[in-house]
Amino acid sequence: MNPDRVRLIAYLAAVLAVSIIHQPLWLALGLGLTLLAGGREAGSILRRAIRAVLLFNLLISLSYLVMAWLHAVSPWQMLLRLNLRVLLLTSLTFLFIARVNLFRALDFSRNLTYVLGLAYSQSLTFRRAHDDFRLALASRSLRRPGLRDRYRASAAAISWFIEKSLHAANQSAQALRSRGFFHD
Amino acid sequence: MHIPDGFLSPQTYLPAYAAAVGLWAYAARRVKRDLDADTLPFLAAYTALSFVLMMVALPLPGGATVHAAGIGLLAVCFGGWMSFLAMSLVLAMQALLFGDGGVTALPINTLAMGFFGSFAAAAAWKVLGRINENVALFLAGWLSIVVPAILIALALGIQPRIASDAQGAPQFFPLGLSVTLPAIVLPHLLVGLAEGMLSILGYRYLKRLREKLTP
Repeated sequence: MNPDRVRLIAYLAAVLAVSIIHQPLWLALGLGLTLLAGGREAGSILRRAIRAVLLFNLLISLSYLVMAWLHAVSPWQMLLRLNLRVLLLTSLTFLFIARVNLFRALDFSRNLTYVLGLAYSQSLTFRRAHDDFRLALASRSLRRPGLRDRYRASAAAISWFIEKSLHAANQSAQALRSRGFFHD
Repeated sequence: MHIPDGFLSPQTYLPAYAAAVGLWAYAARRVKRDLDADTLPFLAAYTALSFVLMMVALPLPGGATVHAAGIGLLAVCFGGWMSFLAMSLVLAMQALLFGDGGVTALPINTLAMGFFGSFAAAAAWKVLGRINENVALFLAGWLSIVVPAILIALALGIQPRIASDAQGAPQFFPLGLSVTLPAIVLPHLLVGLAEGMLSILGYRYLKRLREKLTP
């Protein structure tokens, strides 16, 4: 079995373990081990994980604080457990992304690898194009764009993405056909 | 709309994985039946399209923005199973390549948005498409948002009941159905309106484009 698939299985096992452990101390230990495994990237993994969970967790934690206060129960154990678990799972995912080549881990299925490869590369292209559209609207507007302008910008972006998708699909189909992908 | 990692108990996500894996296998077999040089790249292209549609902000009056999902449009144009597979790939990519969503939330997100969202939209289109195309498209878009929102609110809201410790403190998502249903479903009733409009405009545009591309 290739090392990426072993790491994928280890990651899935770790995720399952994290969701059946409820002691904050063990979850904190798990977070420490995950960051240790991150090595030099530990700081960046933790920063990205905190940025990814901060808003949602803050909202849920504050809502639960209010609810616990209304019901006169202590919220701290629960909040510590929840936030540690979410942070640990998110850090594990960022560690997985940094260390594992998902395409190699899933190479047991040729079709799955091709679809994932094509979809991922197109998604990256589209994400860059989406950022360009957003920056273009901002740079060409002296003031904050109005509702109408933003609708028109979103509509133009969506139509561009639809058109680009169809062209990309046609091009990939021709490329696969010309290379005999379905006749190997 | 989709749930982040760490808020669902194994009692929820493990059975959901069992259901999702069965549906993925069946969907893959169905799509594979017609698998040719066109299907594979089109599936990848629709996946990338749904991925980017989720990034496009649709402005609402008052300065707020919502994000399209494109589930209704995909389901109407390419059928429920193709839309389900494309959405599953998007959510898997977001969870495992971009770190957004998470592996414990993946099956519930996939079932709610990919399966039930797609098939609710496809059903609306099938039932009403011949009677009034615009109404059918709008309803397809609206349902593709509202049905998953209800299911996600249910999945989160049942957590305190099914996963609490001996003292009764929740071990995962801590807020019950009385909070999750209004907090998640009500805003999505409005988000669905934007998605409904997107389905109408996107469908018309796609139809024109296909006619142009077909020799």
